[in-house]
Amino acid sequence: MSCTTDKNPKPKSMSRAREWTAEVENLFRFQQAGYRDELEYIQVKQGALIDKWPDTGYVKKLQRRDNTFYYYSKRRECQECDIHKVKVYAY
Amino acid sequence: MLKNKPELKTQGFTVKATMKNSVVVGPPAAGAFRERPSKPTIFRKFYERGEFPMALEHDTKGNRIAWKVEIEKLDYHHYLPLFFDGLCETIHPYEFFARQGVHDMLEHGGPKIQPVIPQLIIPIKNALNTRNRQVICTTLKVLQHLVMSGDMVGEALVPYYRQILPILNIFKNMNSKSLFLQPQWTLSLEH
Repeated sequence: MSCTTDKNPKPKSMSRAREWTAEVENLFRFQQAGYRDELEYIQVKQGALIDKWPDTGYVKKLQRRDNTFYYYSKRRECQECDIHKVKVYAY
Repeated sequence: MLKNKPELKTQGFTVKATMKNSVVVGPPAAGAFRERPSKPTIFRKFYERGEFPMALEHDTKGNRIAWKVEIEKLDYHHYLPLFFDGLCETIHPYEFFARQGVHDMLEHGGPKIQPVIPQLIIPIKNALNTRNRQVICTTLKVLQHLVMSGDMVGEALVPYYRQILPILNIFKNMNSKSLFLQPQWTLSLEH
């Protein structure tokens, strides 16, 4: 029986967000940049540090797969009409 | 028999105005509110040459700027006045890039913004002098963001009030919703 360390975990299930939270806001920002969530970003960017706004904890800057940068506001960007589009992955 | 002579319309302060059957018409309009389109901006020239490190991305919420270089590494002395110069633009995509680019740079500039303030005054004045209401609204929002973007920025703007505030005197009585799309007209330049 081989013991595998799960360095690249794959999500087991996906659901849609129902209401807005800070976590949903960050997921929205990651998905806008083309990633599933923070875990995938760290995997793809090989441990890069994520810039976050100090007051709110929201993601501030992300590097996309084509190496361009997306900058996000310190205020909420995920509006009520966008909440149901946010995918929440469970591992 | 009295003859009804036709009334003669004439301008004031002339000899004709002293005649009995002359009617003095009002002075011609000075054109204070007439929009003055700006000449092609340097921002447009640089954009068409591809000198800005950014691209337009369409997403579900509309448009977004994808920066090819980190904003923190940009030379603010070179780029920020260029983006401010683009505030006069009214056509897509120049208008979007200038507006969003300015907001992005102000959001992430920190202490790099305050030394550039003197170079921003002429572009701000040119944008306000167009008398285009959309441009003025955009510029005022940029000014609000500017004074909140870093320390001592509001104070650094004080010597330049005489250059950027007079144009707002023309519009000080135009505060009704019917005249403007957005009724927020209060501008606080004190940080």
